[in-house]
Amino acid sequence: MEPRYVIGIDLGTTNSALSYVEYKPDADPFALPKVELLGIPQLVNPSEVRDEGLLPSFLYVPGATDFAAGSTALPWDAQPDVVVGRLAQKRGAENASRLVSSAKSWLSHGGVDRTAPILPFRAPEGVPRFSPVEASRRYLDHLRRAWDSRMPDAPFTDQQVLVTVPASFDAVARELTLKAAEQAGYHNLTLLEEPQAAFYAWIERHPDWRERVRVGDLILVVDIGGGTTDFTLIAVTQKGGELTLDRVAVGEHILLGGDNIDLALARLVADQLAQKGTKIDALQLQALWNNCRTAKEKLLEPGNKKDEEPVTILGKGTGVVGGTIKAKLQRGDLERLLLDGFLPAVSSHDMPARQRRSGLQELGLPYAADAAMTRHMARFLRQQASEAEQGGVRRGPSGLACPTHVLFNGGVLNAGLIRERLLGVLNSWLAEEGLPAVKPLSGEDLMRAVSRGAAYYGLARRGRGVRIRGGVPRTYYVGIETAMPSVPGLPAPLKALTVVPFGMEEGTDLRIPNREFGLVVGEPAEFRFFTSAVRKNDDAGHLIEDFGDDLQELAPMEVNLPAQQDAADVVPVSFETVVTETGMLQLWCVARDGRRWKLEFNVRERVEG
Amino acid sequence: MSRILLAFRAFFAILFGRPLPPEIVPTPARPAAPSTPSAPPPANPGSALQLLAILQRDSRLLDFLMEDIASYQDDQIGAAVRSLHDQARDSLARYLSLQPVIDGVEGAYTRSASGDPAAVKFIGNVPAGKPDGGVLRHKGWRAAKVDLPALNPKQDASIIAPAEIEIE
Repeated sequence: MEPRYVIGIDLGTTNSALSYVEYKPDADPFALPKVELLGIPQLVNPSEVRDEGLLPSFLYVPGATDFAAGSTALPWDAQPDVVVGRLAQKRGAENASRLVSSAKSWLSHGGVDRTAPILPFRAPEGVPRFSPVEASRRYLDHLRRAWDSRMPDAPFTDQQVLVTVPASFDAVARELTLKAAEQAGYHNLTLLEEPQAAFYAWIERHPDWRERVRVGDLILVVDIGGGTTDFTLIAVTQKGGELTLDRVAVGEHILLGGDNIDLALARLVADQLAQKGTKIDALQLQALWNNCRTAKEKLLEPGNKKDEEPVTILGKGTGVVGGTIKAKLQRGDLERLLLDGFLPAVSSHDMPARQRRSGLQELGLPYAADAAMTRHMARFLRQQASEAEQGGVRRGPSGLACPTHVLFNGGVLNAGLIRERLLGVLNSWLAEEGLPAVKPLSGEDLMRAVSRGAAYYGLARRGRGVRIRGGVPRTYYVGIETAMPSVPGLPAPLKALTVVPFGMEEGTDLRIPNREFGLVVGEPAEFRFFTSAVRKNDDAGHLIEDFGDDLQELAPMEVNLPAQQDAADVVPVSFETVVTETGMLQLWCVARDGRRWKLEFNVRERVEG
Repeated sequence: MSRILLAFRAFFAILFGRPLPPEIVPTPARPAAPSTPSAPPPANPGSALQLLAILQRDSRLLDFLMEDIASYQDDQIGAAVRSLHDQARDSLARYLSLQPVIDGVEGAYTRSASGDPAAVKFIGNVPAGKPDGGVLRHKGWRAAKVDLPALNPKQDASIIAPAEIEIE
């Protein structure tokens, strides 16, 4: 059956959203498709299910004393074993040890086994745990059932579905997202990068977009969400007389976002209270964190000229007035923290501080060591310079990638002060290169643009609307140990064989020439697997000897060939790479006789990195 | 600050159908009406307690009303009430759709055809017959829609707020 709707799902770190658009094959191709947001039924309080525009990406594992029997029932499940959404977020603030949050960041964290039950990360013994994949499955499952309860005439599984992922997600994280979606009963699924989705949302709102950009323009998408910061470059090119859009670069996964700003503000206010002799505990800090967010948003509203905003922590016991702690968030403090701490005016040569490497590190999410978003932006634009041959990227004399336009996305960038600062810093870099200032592309509804854009893209894939050409956003390598006499204490030097070149397009495949490996049958053979967002000109089959910091190791790839009685012990194979229509990366071992085995990610293995 | 307190008390009086605090209705002493001994049917306390529980949960309103605030400075009370007021109003808006009984301008002459003393109350120099209008002093409140969640029958409705015990 032909899908009636295209559904766009923004599976966010802190909030998820679902947009949809009806597919009308005979619709006027120039009419604006009407993308709508689905109200998502969810528990907002015990025994209270309500539609909300966003599904908070939180999962709470209730114990015997958490909720009264039957009070967590959903329209589609009388006795769910976990709580998802607003109520999970609320209850989790009171009891964080049973709360799963930021599952998406865990999904892209190579330092842990992402299919093992590890979340809630600090849960006491005896609390059931879930893997990052399973937690993501629960959110996706909730969204599917929400759709089915709201749209009973158009079953979810019959519709075309797009799920967005950060552009910085590597192949493993993408594969795991896909796996979570498949386990949640999704069919007809395509993954789409979030900054691209945000750009589609802009196109959706501006049908005259072709008059707003020109060939040779370079658009920087800055996406700052609750937990992550993501940069992407999209180049405007021409093909057959038509404007086309090429996604030419994506940044690294930076765990830095609005939550960091709010927590920093809460710490600042807590310090000021402590100086006056008022100590606050962890629960009160949580309340302060939320109130600082609200106060920050109020102070940053356009036209607000107030010098301070009260921040109140209500008394804990029944003495609500007597126990109230009064504090103030000063505009001066807020601006200093934002402008000096998170958005310092740095030069385009200023790089973020490296991750600290202490001998013993607490296992947890690899948060960014440097909070300065402008330094991360400088590094992103500098990285594009290191490979001068990559076409399509407009550069200044120093080699810095120089965008002509900026598109903002993510809730943090609702604040004019933050947008102005980013523009100011970027324009100072462009002035140094002797180039004119960037033009901001006005985005609207920065919280929901990604899901809207995803729904629009679904139409684009079916012929309505423009499509951004992307291809694989990174280069991938297989590690090969050098054959040489072993030296005690030194591992054999590792070389990296390019198996997926940057920009390899969807729906294509290629064979790595002139290189065969002896594959042992009957036991799993493992390959070390590397990626780089920086090296963009390595062709398939290219061997790198000394790669330094350019490459990051991913989960190893594994293949298990069943032993056959009449087969030899070692089968010579070569690599074949396939990028599917839906953008999924596949690596195959192909024997001389044409037999093929797919390499799978082994995410159970710890990756030291 | 007493105005805020008064507003809360007036709100609850209207909500639960009790007489308004005397400060809010500057009625001249009225002759006692001959009382009719028809006892109203007992109200189901469930939804009243439920709304109170919601307001306590979302805004700590019950804590505030029950607290002896006589000894606190106005700015201390003000700090608590500002936060409490925002949250109480948010949750009211979520569960009730409140509208004025007469959508007019307070202080302006307003015609009223209503003969229902529960909906429109005439005060001042009320003529012998039914008046057709007067100066609108209070627009009144009407709950156009009540959208409270279904009560869990297994739950003890008399618990308005649970006790909290923190494990340290």
